[in-house]
Amino acid sequence: MSAQAGTAPRTGASLETRLWATARSEWIKFRSVRSSPAVLLATAVILPVTAWLLCAYYRNGWATMSPASKASFDPVFISLRGIEGAQLFVGALGVVTATGEYTSGLIRGTFIATPQRAQVIAMKAAIFAAVVWAWCTLLSFAAFVVGQALLSSPAKHVAIGDPGVLTAVFGGGLYLTGVGLLGLFIGVLLRRTPAALAMLFGILLVLPVAVGLLGGKISAQLAEFLPDSGGEEIFKLLHGGAYTLGPWQGFAVLAAWVAAAAAAAFQLVRRRDA
Amino acid sequence: MPETMQATAASSGRRAAPSALLRAQAALSAEWIKLRSLRSMLVTPALAAVVCVGYAGFLCWRFTQRWHTFDAANKAGFQPLDTNFNVLVIGVLFFGVLGALVVTNEYDDGLIRATLAATPQRGLILTAKTALLTLIALLSSAVLCFAAFLTGQSILAGGHLPHVTLADPGVLGRVLGAVFYLTAASLIGLFTGVIARSAAVAMTCVFGVFLVLPTLLNSLQGGVWRHTVPYLPSNLGNALWLSRTGSLASPTVAVLGLAAYIIVLGALATYSLRRRDA
Repeated sequence: MSAQAGTAPRTGASLETRLWATARSEWIKFRSVRSSPAVLLATAVILPVTAWLLCAYYRNGWATMSPASKASFDPVFISLRGIEGAQLFVGALGVVTATGEYTSGLIRGTFIATPQRAQVIAMKAAIFAAVVWAWCTLLSFAAFVVGQALLSSPAKHVAIGDPGVLTAVFGGGLYLTGVGLLGLFIGVLLRRTPAALAMLFGILLVLPVAVGLLGGKISAQLAEFLPDSGGEEIFKLLHGGAYTLGPWQGFAVLAAWVAAAAAAAFQLVRRRDA
Repeated sequence: MPETMQATAASSGRRAAPSALLRAQAALSAEWIKLRSLRSMLVTPALAAVVCVGYAGFLCWRFTQRWHTFDAANKAGFQPLDTNFNVLVIGVLFFGVLGALVVTNEYDDGLIRATLAATPQRGLILTAKTALLTLIALLSSAVLCFAAFLTGQSILAGGHLPHVTLADPGVLGRVLGAVFYLTAASLIGLFTGVIARSAAVAMTCVFGVFLVLPTLLNSLQGGVWRHTVPYLPSNLGNALWLSRTGSLASPTVAVLGLAAYIIVLGALATYSLRRRDA
């Protein structure tokens, strides 16, 4: 009798139990893939080293800079510019987190074990986002500290308590998490690593270049609605320019792109064969 | 009887050690079958051509529409060839990815092991892949560059804007320079792919080297940067087709520099392919 009662939950495990189990298995998958620690280590090198290179460069050249470039100098953005390099790696990790299982065919095992496919994708995204957000926020603070330590007077520098600075430094971690999730959902959509990477880098890196080549007013207007140039506003202190969005409005642009990719991914993952 | 014996001995002897020429031919034809049956080998150059020729034409057309808004200084500084070829900043990515996919496709599905078992001469496989990729990249980038050039310049000419022809001094050299740059990018992609052994890593490297690195570093001038930034692969390549070179290297240095990248990466790729497990 008690044995029967014990088997009862198996036939209809509660949502909570199932989500925990899925989250745990996604966590095991995430941490046991070699690319995850490699990418997280790479970001740990890129962010502080870029902050060090750029901030040392601007401190040394500060005296020779024109008043206009001194006025438009953004000490937070310069400390965090390594994000532009790190986003390649974090985005690629997002893609591989999704496509890795498709490439090896093990996604079929995953979907047999948990036929609630949307829950699998949701938990995969949640685990990925939690780890990447925690790690990248930490690195964002590290890069900020390195950068501000180098940007001594007379170069423009700020403290963490100054208005807008905390948002911008937290924004670095948020931006990278957004980019990673965009990669993950594009990975679920396209299921093949090269195609998904090409699409992610196309949207993230090539579209801004293509829009920049247009020239004129339309260039500046369109750029703000791209995930890269729009999303970057969150880790900038200065939002100059006629069409520039504020930090959270800019981040909302990135979030909207992620949401669109997620909606398409959830819709298709339930319909298609794995 | 002795004749048959001889024939058997001869044929089995040839099978044990085929001549170098035969082996090279076999490797080339095997690689050719693989390349032409890969969907990405068709999609990538075709997409590159459509994007580059189409967008170059569109950008030139936009200049004809905006010309009346320019002041005298803008009009005097207008560079018809640069306007036309600016899309190569995007085009080069297609060629880098094309090269990377030539070999990483095989690593991702594990079939590289079959390739290496069939032809244990690993250097020969890489040589055959390099030769075929060079041919494909040269042909497709030549078609792309000349088509983009002719489209763009005829649109500029139609709008009565300053334009150039292939007969003008230095123009043919810059179009050929662009062809060389795109081909070089595909080889850099190939060797990166052999070293990385994974499509994800190789493609990330291609985008990092040709797009993100120049974005981060090009604003830095003076000191150590003046002697390093112009030698990034992307800046060496741009020096071959840009009219306004500024701080970029001279075309001769650019060709030699890109050749040096190819040789060094090629040597590293050969070493890595020979020494490591697949």
